Amino acid sequence: MRTSLFKYYNEMQRDGVILYFNGPVSQPVVEGMAELMRSKMRAEDAGMGSVQRVFAILVEQMQNIVRYSSERQVDNVNQQGEMALGQVVVGREDDGRFFVACGNKVNSSDCVELSEYIQTLRSMSKNELKTYYRERRKGPDCATSKGAGLGFVEMARKAFRPMDFDIVPLDGDTSFFSMKVVTQ
Amino acid sequence: MTKYSVQATTSSPYISFDPEDMSFEIKGESYPENCWAFYSPMFEWLESFFDSTNGDRIEINMEIIYFNSSSSKTFMDFFEMLDDYAEKGRNIEVNWRYHEENESAMECGEEFMGDVEQIKFNLVEFAG
Repeated sequence: MRTSLFKYYNEMQRDGVILYFNGPVSQPVVEGMAELMRSKMRAEDAGMGSVQRVFAILVEQMQNIVRYSSERQVDNVNQQGEMALGQVVVGREDDGRFFVACGNKVNSSDCVELSEYIQTLRSMSKNELKTYYRERRKGPDCATSKGAGLGFVEMARKAFRPMDFDIVPLDGDTSFFSMKVVTQ
Repeated sequence: MTKYSVQATTSSPYISFDPEDMSFEIKGESYPENCWAFYSPMFEWLESFFDSTNGDRIEINMEIIYFNSSSSKTFMDFFEMLDDYAEKGRNIEVNWRYHEENESAMECGEEFMGDVEQIKFNLVEFAG
């Protein structure tokens, strides 16, 4: 790798990036990054609503990496909790709205379901999302055992426009999943 | 019965259920790595508590700054459990406390209030 990171710095400046992380994510990393972002936004006098929305989406996305990234650290038997590889970006759009994006490898076999689920959420109005969220929360345990499966709905409710996502097949078993949420 | 008490961490709340003075409090942040693992001892304690007592009015104070989607599901399960005991005749009240500027906590409280049936669910705003 080149010593100079100026090229990356410039690209990120241009894309409005405030925070960029690429590497192993564990619960302490989730806590550290979310708290850091909250402190930074508070120091810059961002409204409480937008601080909370960025914090919430960042936590949901990073916990999704810890739970679902297919690229995992397997040699951490002495450590508590899980660790998995992923990327997170927080930044601002040209109009000033904050966005939170994440990327990680997933099992290709989960991609059809994942894609259909996000498409369904993209087609829903705010009121439909609210109703769906409350129905799903009241119902018996959702399909996924690790989380409540509510995270995507939670993010969709806090989004300014339908969530963007992208899936790139890497090989037969693995694909790269990205999503971007622009906050209200 | 002995008191149930858990110290707060960055991502999990302080919990104190004291059957002596009948004070019940959950306060702080809630986005632990494994929500079910964190809250299941609390659920178990409550079940034994309800099994070993009767009659007294129970008031639970909840003041949650932020909670993630898994905690949201767990809180709903918690309120449904309380609903079940209330249906069997227990007198249960939940005070959902939030800072006046924490609009998100207020809206979440309103949604929980709309989804419980038997318990009394109060929204309590505080300042400062």
